[in-house]
Amino acid sequence: MQKPELIKDGKRLDGRDFEELRPLKIVAGIIKNATGSAYLEWGNNKVLAAVYGPKEVLPKHLADPEKAIVKCRYAMAPFSSLEEHGRAGPNRRATEISKVTKEVFENLIMLEKFPSTEIDIFIEILQSDGGTRSAGITAAGVALADSGIPIRDIPFAVAGGKIGDKLAIDFNKIEDNYSDADIPIAISPNLDRVLLLQMDGKMTKEEFSRYLDMVERVSKQIISAQKNALLEKYKVNG
Amino acid sequence: MVEIVLPGSKITSGIIKADGTYIENDSTYASVVGIFDEEKRHFIPLEGLWYPKEGDRVVGTIVTRRISAYVVDLNSPYKGIIMTKFEHSRLEEGDIIEATVREFKEFDDAMVVVLTRPKRLFGGVLLNIKPTKVPRVIGKGNTMIDQITQATKCSIIVGLNGTVWLKGGDINLATEAIKTIELQAHVSGLTDKIKNMLEKKGK
Repeated sequence: MQKPELIKDGKRLDGRDFEELRPLKIVAGIIKNATGSAYLEWGNNKVLAAVYGPKEVLPKHLADPEKAIVKCRYAMAPFSSLEEHGRAGPNRRATEISKVTKEVFENLIMLEKFPSTEIDIFIEILQSDGGTRSAGITAAGVALADSGIPIRDIPFAVAGGKIGDKLAIDFNKIEDNYSDADIPIAISPNLDRVLLLQMDGKMTKEEFSRYLDMVERVSKQIISAQKNALLEKYKVNG
Repeated sequence: MVEIVLPGSKITSGIIKADGTYIENDSTYASVVGIFDEEKRHFIPLEGLWYPKEGDRVVGTIVTRRISAYVVDLNSPYKGIIMTKFEHSRLEEGDIIEATVREFKEFDDAMVVVLTRPKRLFGGVLLNIKPTKVPRVIGKGNTMIDQITQATKCSIIVGLNGTVWLKGGDINLATEAIKTIELQAHVSGLTDKIKNMLEKKGK
Protein backbone atom coordinates (compact mmCIF):
# COMPACT_ATOMS: atom_id res chain seq x y z
CA MET A 1 0.00 0.00 0.00
CA GLN A 2 1.22 3.45 -0.87
CA LYS A 3 2.42 5.33 2.18
CA PRO A 4 0.84 8.79 2.40
CA GLU A 5 3.00 11.84 2.91
CA LEU A 6 2.76 12.77 6.56
CA ILE A 7 4.79 15.99 6.54
CA LYS A 8 4.03 18.93 4.26
CA ASP A 9 5.99 22.21 4.36
CA GLY A 10 7.54 21.34 7.72
CA LYS A 11 4.15 20.84 9.36
CA ARG A 12 2.06 17.78 10.06
CA LEU A 13 -1.05 16.96 8.06
CA ASP A 14 -3.42 18.61 10.52
CA GLY A 15 -1.21 21.71 10.63
CA ARG A 16 0.35 20.99 14.00
CA ASP A 17 3.98 21.40 14.96
CA PHE A 18 5.94 18.31 15.88
CA GLU A 19 5.67 19.07 19.56
CA GLU A 20 2.08 20.25 19.61
CA LEU A 21 -0.75 18.35 21.28
CA ARG A 22 -4.25 18.19 19.94
CA PRO A 23 -6.79 20.21 21.99
CA LEU A 24 -7.49 18.39 25.25
CA LYS A 25 -10.60 18.76 27.37
CA ILE A 26 -11.54 16.71 30.44
CA VAL A 27 -14.66 16.80 32.63
CA ALA A 28 -14.72 14.92 35.94
CA GLY A 29 -17.65 13.28 37.67
CA ILE A 30 -20.23 13.13 34.91
CA ILE A 31 -21.64 9.66 35.59
CA LYS A 32 -23.58 9.95 38.83
CA ASN A 33 -24.05 6.22 39.43
CA ALA A 34 -20.32 5.52 39.26
CA THR A 35 -17.95 5.92 42.20
CA GLY A 36 -15.86 8.10 39.93
CA SER A 37 -15.96 9.09 36.28
CA ALA A 38 -14.47 11.31 33.62
CA TYR A 39 -15.15 12.35 30.04
CA LEU A 40 -12.26 13.26 27.78
CA GLU A 41 -11.95 14.84 24.37
CA TRP A 42 -8.49 14.77 22.87
CA GLY A 43 -8.58 15.96 19.30
CA ASN A 44 -11.16 13.69 17.70
CA ASN A 45 -10.89 11.07 20.43
CA LYS A 46 -13.89 10.92 22.73
CA VAL A 47 -13.54 8.72 25.78
CA LEU A 48 -15.72 7.92 28.80
CA ALA A 49 -14.09 6.39 31.86
CA ALA A 50 -15.92 5.12 34.94
CA VAL A 51 -14.72 3.52 38.16
CA TYR A 52 -16.85 1.30 40.40
CA GLY A 53 -15.93 -0.18 43.74
CA PRO A 54 -14.39 -1.41 45.89
CA LYS A 55 -17.05 -4.11 45.93
CA GLU A 56 -17.48 -7.81 46.54
CA VAL A 57 -15.41 -9.96 44.16
CA LEU A 58 -17.34 -12.03 41.62
CA PRO A 59 -16.60 -14.86 40.97
CA LYS A 60 -15.59 -15.39 44.56
CA HIS A 61 -12.50 -17.53 43.95
CA LEU A 62 -10.68 -14.58 42.36
CA ALA A 63 -10.65 -12.70 45.66
CA ASP A 64 -7.28 -11.97 47.24
CA PRO A 65 -7.47 -11.89 51.05
CA GLU A 66 -4.52 -9.48 51.21
CA LYS A 67 -5.50 -6.85 48.68
CA ALA A 68 -8.07 -5.65 46.19
CA ILE A 69 -8.02 -6.85 42.61
CA VAL A 70 -8.39 -4.54 39.63
CA LYS A 71 -10.54 -5.36 36.63
CA CYS A 72 -10.25 -3.23 33.56
CA ARG A 73 -12.35 -3.19 30.44
CA TYR A 74 -11.26 -1.16 27.44
CA ALA A 75 -13.84 -1.22 24.68
CA MET A 76 -14.53 0.63 21.50
CA ALA A 77 -18.11 1.52 20.69
CA PRO A 78 -19.39 0.02 17.42
CA PHE A 79 -19.71 3.50 15.97
CA SER A 80 -16.35 4.72 17.21
CA SER A 81 -13.86 4.10 14.51
CA LEU A 82 -12.75 5.53 11.25
CA GLU A 83 -12.43 2.73 8.71
CA GLU A 84 -10.61 -0.20 10.24
CA HIS A 85 -8.75 1.30 13.13
CA GLY A 86 -9.82 -1.14 15.79
CA ARG A 87 -13.21 -2.76 15.66
CA ALA A 88 -15.86 -3.01 18.33
CA GLY A 89 -16.32 -6.08 20.47
CA PRO A 90 -13.92 -8.20 22.47
CA ASN A 91 -10.93 -8.92 20.29
CA ARG A 92 -7.19 -9.42 20.60
CA ARG A 93 -6.45 -5.71 20.57
CA ALA A 94 -9.04 -4.76 23.21
CA THR A 95 -7.92 -7.60 25.47
CA GLU A 96 -4.30 -6.47 25.26
CA ILE A 97 -5.12 -2.84 25.99
CA SER A 98 -7.33 -3.85 28.92
CA LYS A 99 -4.43 -5.82 30.35
CA VAL A 100 -1.79 -3.12 30.04
CA THR A 101 -4.19 -0.50 31.41
CA LYS A 102 -4.98 -2.71 34.36
CA GLU A 103 -1.28 -3.02 35.14
CA VAL A 104 -0.87 0.75 35.08
CA PHE A 105 -3.50 1.14 37.78
CA GLU A 106 -2.46 -1.87 39.85
CA ASN A 107 0.76 0.01 40.47
CA LEU A 108 -1.00 3.16 41.66
CA ILE A 109 -4.09 2.15 43.63
CA MET A 110 -3.47 1.38 47.31
CA LEU A 111 -4.84 -2.11 46.94
CA GLU A 112 -3.76 -3.27 50.39
CA LYS A 113 -6.38 -1.00 51.97
CA PHE A 114 -9.27 -3.05 50.59
CA PRO A 115 -8.64 -6.76 51.08
CA SER A 116 -10.89 -9.21 49.20
CA THR A 117 -12.62 -6.62 47.06
CA GLU A 118 -12.52 -5.65 43.44
CA ILE A 119 -12.22 -2.30 41.70
CA ASP A 120 -13.65 -2.02 38.20
CA ILE A 121 -12.33 0.42 35.63
CA PHE A 122 -14.31 0.87 32.44
CA ILE A 123 -12.94 2.74 29.46
CA GLU A 124 -15.30 3.26 26.57
CA ILE A 125 -14.03 4.78 23.34
CA LEU A 126 -16.91 6.70 21.77
CA GLN A 127 -14.91 8.11 18.88
CA SER A 128 -11.41 7.11 17.95
CA ASP A 129 -8.66 8.95 16.12
CA GLY A 130 -5.38 7.41 17.20
CA GLY A 131 -3.84 7.17 20.64
CA THR A 132 -6.97 5.83 22.34
CA ARG A 133 -5.13 3.73 24.92
CA SER A 134 -3.29 6.86 26.07
CA ALA A 135 -6.51 8.84 26.09
CA GLY A 136 -8.16 6.03 28.07
CA ILE A 137 -5.46 5.97 30.74
CA THR A 138 -5.47 9.77 31.04
CA ALA A 139 -9.26 9.74 31.51
CA ALA A 140 -9.27 6.78 33.91
CA GLY A 141 -6.68 8.55 36.07
CA VAL A 142 -9.07 11.45 36.52
CA ALA A 143 -11.99 9.07 37.14
CA LEU A 144 -10.03 7.35 39.91
CA ALA A 145 -9.11 10.63 41.58
CA ASP A 146 -12.78 11.59 41.37
CA SER A 147 -13.83 8.31 43.01
CA GLY A 148 -11.98 8.77 46.29
CA ILE A 149 -10.22 5.42 46.01
CA PRO A 150 -6.75 6.14 47.44
CA ILE A 151 -4.09 6.29 44.71
CA ARG A 152 -0.42 7.20 44.87
CA ASP A 153 -0.58 9.43 41.83
CA ILE A 154 -2.70 10.44 38.83
CA PRO A 155 -1.07 8.97 35.71
CA PHE A 156 -1.11 10.50 32.26
CA ALA A 157 -0.34 8.87 28.93
CA VAL A 158 0.52 10.05 25.46
CA ALA A 159 1.52 8.37 22.19
CA GLY A 160 4.00 9.65 19.66
CA GLY A 161 7.01 8.45 17.73
CA LYS A 162 8.96 8.88 14.55
CA ILE A 163 7.81 10.11 11.15
CA GLY A 164 10.63 9.78 8.61
CA ASP A 165 13.58 11.28 10.46
CA LYS A 166 11.47 13.56 12.67
CA LEU A 167 10.10 12.89 16.11
CA ALA A 168 6.51 13.89 16.82
CA ILE A 169 4.10 13.69 19.74
CA ASP A 170 0.41 12.85 20.03
CA PHE A 171 -0.18 10.91 16.82
CA ASN A 172 -3.56 10.98 15.16
CA LYS A 173 -4.92 7.97 13.33
CA ILE A 174 -3.15 8.40 10.02
CA GLU A 175 0.20 9.13 11.66
CA ASP A 176 -0.33 6.16 13.95
CA ASN A 177 -0.86 3.84 10.96
CA TYR A 178 1.97 5.01 8.71
CA SER A 179 4.65 6.25 11.11
CA ASP A 180 8.08 4.61 11.39
CA ALA A 181 7.77 4.16 15.13
CA ASP A 182 4.81 4.53 17.46
CA ILE A 183 5.37 4.64 21.22
CA PRO A 184 2.54 4.97 23.75
CA ILE A 185 3.89 5.80 27.18
CA ALA A 186 2.17 6.22 30.56
CA ILE A 187 3.93 8.10 33.33
CA SER A 188 3.26 8.80 36.97
CA PRO A 189 4.55 12.38 37.19
CA ASN A 190 5.01 12.68 40.95
CA LEU A 191 6.53 9.25 41.45
CA ASP A 192 8.59 9.78 38.29
CA ARG A 193 7.92 6.27 37.03
CA VAL A 194 7.06 4.83 33.65
CA LEU A 195 4.01 2.60 33.97
CA LEU A 196 3.45 1.61 30.37
CA LEU A 197 5.75 1.58 27.39
CA GLN A 198 4.98 -0.10 24.11
CA MET A 199 6.57 0.29 20.71
CA ASP A 200 5.74 -0.43 17.10
CA GLY A 201 8.52 0.07 14.56
CA LYS A 202 12.14 1.02 15.01
CA MET A 203 14.00 3.81 16.72
CA THR A 204 17.61 4.39 17.74
CA LYS A 205 18.67 4.77 21.37
CA GLU A 206 19.50 8.42 20.86
CA GLU A 207 16.12 9.11 19.24
CA PHE A 208 14.37 7.38 22.09
CA SER A 209 15.98 9.57 24.71
CA ARG A 210 15.06 12.64 22.66
CA TYR A 211 11.50 11.28 22.52
CA LEU A 212 11.41 10.94 26.31
CA ASP A 213 12.52 14.57 26.67
CA MET A 214 9.75 15.58 24.31
CA VAL A 215 7.18 13.68 26.39
CA GLU A 216 8.41 15.47 29.47
CA ARG A 217 8.00 18.87 27.83
CA VAL A 218 4.39 18.25 26.75
CA SER A 219 3.43 16.49 29.99
CA LYS A 220 2.68 19.78 31.75
CA GLN A 221 -0.24 20.49 29.44
CA ILE A 222 -1.80 17.07 30.01
CA ILE A 223 -1.34 17.24 33.78
CA SER A 224 -2.85 20.69 33.99
CA ALA A 225 -5.88 19.56 31.95
CA GLN A 226 -6.38 16.72 34.44
CA LYS A 227 -5.98 19.07 37.42
CA ASN A 228 -8.40 21.62 36.01
CA ALA A 229 -11.00 18.91 35.44
CA LEU A 230 -10.90 17.93 39.11
CA LEU A 231 -10.75 21.48 40.48
CA GLU A 232 -13.56 22.61 38.20
CA LYS A 233 -15.88 20.14 39.91
CA TYR A 234 -15.50 21.97 43.21
CA LYS A 235 -15.76 25.41 41.66
CA VAL A 236 -19.13 24.63 40.11
CA ASN A 237 -20.54 23.42 43.40
CA GLY A 238 -19.07 26.23 45.47
CA MET B 1 -3.75 29.33 53.28
CA VAL B 2 -6.32 26.67 52.44
CA GLU B 3 -5.99 24.88 49.13
CA ILE B 4 -7.34 21.86 47.28
CA VAL B 5 -4.75 19.14 46.80
CA LEU B 6 -4.97 16.27 44.34
CA PRO B 7 -3.79 12.67 44.70
CA GLY B 8 -0.06 12.30 44.28
CA SER B 9 0.84 15.87 45.16
CA LYS B 10 3.04 16.62 48.12
CA ILE B 11 1.12 18.15 51.00
CA THR B 12 4.11 19.07 53.12
CA SER B 13 7.56 17.89 54.04
CA GLY B 14 7.16 16.34 57.42
CA ILE B 15 4.69 13.78 58.63
CA ILE B 16 0.97 14.34 59.07
CA LYS B 17 -1.21 11.40 59.91
CA ALA B 18 -4.65 11.71 58.39
CA ASP B 19 -7.07 9.69 56.27
CA GLY B 20 -6.35 10.04 52.57
CA THR B 21 -2.62 10.58 52.87
CA TYR B 22 0.51 8.48 52.56
CA ILE B 23 4.07 8.99 53.71
CA GLU B 24 7.14 8.53 51.58
CA ASN B 25 10.68 9.73 52.27
CA ASP B 26 9.56 11.72 55.32
CA SER B 27 7.07 13.74 53.31
CA THR B 28 3.29 13.50 53.29
CA TYR B 29 1.42 13.07 50.01
CA ALA B 30 -2.30 13.10 49.29
CA SER B 31 -3.93 9.91 48.04
CA VAL B 32 -7.39 11.43 47.54
CA VAL B 33 -8.70 14.88 46.63
CA GLY B 34 -8.76 16.97 49.79
CA ILE B 35 -8.27 20.34 51.44
CA PHE B 36 -5.05 21.20 53.25
CA ASP B 37 -4.97 23.94 55.86
CA GLU B 38 -1.35 25.07 56.06
CA GLU B 39 -1.66 26.95 59.37
CA LYS B 40 -3.45 24.21 61.26
CA ARG B 41 -1.51 21.51 59.37
CA HIS B 42 -4.76 19.70 58.87
CA PHE B 43 -5.87 17.60 55.89
CA ILE B 44 -9.56 16.99 55.17
CA PRO B 45 -10.41 14.47 52.45
CA LEU B 46 -13.15 15.59 50.05
CA GLU B 47 -13.55 12.20 48.40
CA GLY B 48 -13.11 8.88 50.07
CA LEU B 49 -14.59 5.68 51.32
CA TRP B 50 -15.59 4.36 54.71
CA TYR B 51 -13.05 2.28 56.59
CA PRO B 52 -14.89 0.32 59.31
CA LYS B 53 -13.54 1.15 62.77
CA GLU B 54 -14.51 -0.18 66.15
CA GLY B 55 -17.23 1.93 67.73
CA ASP B 56 -18.59 3.46 64.50
CA ARG B 57 -22.37 3.96 64.55
CA VAL B 58 -23.80 2.77 61.24
CA VAL B 59 -27.19 2.47 59.55
CA GLY B 60 -28.03 -0.51 57.36
CA THR B 61 -30.67 -2.89 56.06
CA ILE B 62 -31.07 -6.56 56.96
CA VAL B 63 -30.54 -8.59 53.79
CA THR B 64 -30.97 -12.17 54.97
CA ARG B 65 -31.11 -14.25 58.06
CA ARG B 66 -28.70 -17.13 58.33
CA ILE B 67 -28.61 -19.79 61.02
CA SER B 68 -26.28 -17.95 63.33
CA ALA B 69 -26.24 -14.41 61.97
CA TYR B 70 -28.11 -11.63 60.22
CA VAL B 71 -26.46 -10.20 57.12
CA VAL B 72 -26.62 -6.41 56.87
CA ASP B 73 -26.15 -4.24 53.79
CA LEU B 74 -24.01 -1.26 54.80
CA ASN B 75 -23.59 0.44 51.41
CA SER B 76 -19.93 -0.58 51.48
CA PRO B 77 -17.81 -3.33 49.89
CA TYR B 78 -18.09 -5.27 53.12
CA LYS B 79 -21.16 -6.96 54.55
CA GLY B 80 -22.23 -6.41 58.10
CA ILE B 81 -23.20 -9.35 60.30
CA ILE B 82 -25.05 -9.53 63.59
CA MET B 83 -24.41 -12.72 65.54
CA THR B 84 -27.71 -14.01 66.86
CA LYS B 85 -25.84 -15.73 69.68
CA PHE B 86 -25.11 -12.43 71.38
CA GLU B 87 -28.02 -10.27 70.31
CA HIS B 88 -31.53 -11.14 71.28
CA SER B 89 -33.53 -8.69 69.22
CA ARG B 90 -35.78 -10.28 66.60
CA LEU B 91 -35.14 -8.87 63.20
CA GLU B 92 -36.68 -9.54 59.80
CA GLU B 93 -35.46 -9.28 56.26
CA GLY B 94 -35.76 -5.67 55.12
CA ASP B 95 -35.62 -4.12 58.56
CA ILE B 96 -33.61 -0.93 58.88
CA ILE B 97 -31.25 -0.94 61.84
CA GLU B 98 -28.78 1.29 63.60
CA ALA B 99 -25.82 -0.56 65.12
CA THR B 100 -22.26 -0.21 66.41
CA VAL B 101 -19.20 -1.78 64.81
CA ARG B 102 -17.60 -4.25 67.18
CA GLU B 103 -14.96 -5.70 64.91
CA PHE B 104 -13.75 -5.73 61.34
CA LYS B 105 -12.38 -9.16 60.64
CA GLU B 106 -12.06 -12.11 58.32
CA PHE B 107 -14.96 -14.50 58.53
CA ASP B 108 -15.89 -17.33 56.21
CA ASP B 109 -13.19 -16.33 53.68
CA ALA B 110 -14.41 -12.75 53.44
CA MET B 111 -13.90 -9.53 55.35
CA VAL B 112 -16.99 -8.68 57.38
CA VAL B 113 -18.06 -5.95 59.74
CA VAL B 114 -19.28 -7.49 62.98
CA LEU B 115 -22.05 -5.34 64.44
CA THR B 116 -23.42 -5.19 67.92
CA ARG B 117 -26.30 -3.56 69.80
CA PRO B 118 -28.69 -3.33 66.82
CA LYS B 119 -31.65 -1.03 67.20
CA ARG B 120 -34.53 -1.43 64.81
CA LEU B 121 -35.70 1.77 63.14
CA PHE B 122 -39.39 1.74 62.25
CA GLY B 123 -40.52 3.25 58.95
CA GLY B 124 -38.68 6.17 57.48
CA VAL B 125 -36.54 6.41 54.36
CA LEU B 126 -32.85 5.87 53.65
CA LEU B 127 -30.52 8.22 51.83
CA ASN B 128 -26.94 7.47 50.82
CA ILE B 129 -24.28 10.17 50.92
CA LYS B 130 -20.51 10.09 50.55
CA PRO B 131 -18.96 8.85 53.81
CA THR B 132 -16.39 11.68 53.80
CA LYS B 133 -19.21 14.23 54.02
CA VAL B 134 -20.73 12.72 57.16
CA PRO B 135 -18.77 14.93 59.63
CA ARG B 136 -19.96 18.01 57.72
CA VAL B 137 -23.60 16.86 57.81
CA ILE B 138 -23.37 16.38 61.56
CA GLY B 139 -21.43 19.62 62.07
CA LYS B 140 -19.25 20.75 64.95
CA GLY B 141 -20.98 19.65 68.15
CA ASN B 142 -24.02 18.51 66.14
CA THR B 143 -24.83 22.10 65.11
CA MET B 144 -25.69 21.29 61.51
CA ILE B 145 -27.87 18.27 62.18
CA ASP B 146 -29.68 19.96 65.09
CA GLN B 147 -30.46 22.89 62.86
CA ILE B 148 -31.99 20.65 60.20
CA THR B 149 -33.95 18.65 62.78
CA GLN B 150 -35.40 21.81 64.30
CA ALA B 151 -36.39 23.38 61.00
CA THR B 152 -37.93 20.29 59.44
CA LYS B 153 -39.20 18.41 62.53
CA CYS B 154 -37.66 15.33 61.00
CA SER B 155 -35.87 12.64 62.99
CA ILE B 156 -32.50 12.01 61.38
CA ILE B 157 -29.87 9.39 62.12
CA VAL B 158 -26.59 9.67 60.24
CA GLY B 159 -24.51 6.49 59.98
CA LEU B 160 -20.76 6.86 59.57
CA ASN B 161 -21.01 4.53 56.58
CA GLY B 162 -22.84 7.28 54.70
CA THR B 163 -26.39 5.99 55.11
CA VAL B 164 -28.86 8.46 56.53
CA TRP B 165 -32.26 7.53 58.00
CA LEU B 166 -35.04 10.11 57.94
CA LYS B 167 -38.53 9.96 59.37
CA GLY B 168 -41.43 12.32 59.86
CA GLY B 169 -41.63 16.08 59.31
CA ASP B 170 -40.59 17.65 56.05
CA ILE B 171 -38.46 14.85 54.62
CA ASN B 172 -38.08 16.50 51.22
CA LEU B 173 -36.58 19.65 52.71
CA ALA B 174 -34.27 17.68 55.00
CA THR B 175 -33.10 15.57 52.04
CA GLU B 176 -32.47 18.68 50.02
CA ALA B 177 -30.46 20.23 52.86
CA ILE B 178 -28.34 17.11 53.30
CA LYS B 179 -27.72 16.83 49.55
CA THR B 180 -26.66 20.50 49.47
CA ILE B 181 -24.21 19.91 52.30
CA GLU B 182 -22.81 16.90 50.47
CA LEU B 183 -22.21 18.94 47.33
CA GLN B 184 -20.77 21.99 49.09
CA ALA B 185 -18.87 20.36 51.94
CA HIS B 186 -15.70 22.26 51.02
CA VAL B 187 -17.34 25.69 51.20
CA SER B 188 -16.85 27.72 54.38
CA GLY B 189 -19.79 29.28 56.22
CA LEU B 190 -22.04 26.41 55.22
CA THR B 191 -24.01 26.35 58.47
CA ASP B 192 -25.35 29.87 57.81
CA LYS B 193 -26.06 29.06 54.20
CA ILE B 194 -28.12 26.03 55.17
CA LYS B 195 -29.87 28.10 57.85
CA ASN B 196 -30.97 30.62 55.23
CA MET B 197 -32.08 27.88 52.91
CA LEU B 198 -34.15 26.19 55.62
CA GLU B 199 -35.76 29.46 56.67
CA LYS B 200 -36.65 30.40 53.12
CA LYS B 201 -38.11 27.06 52.11
CA GLY B 202 -39.49 26.01 55.47
CA LYS B 203 -42.53 28.28 55.27
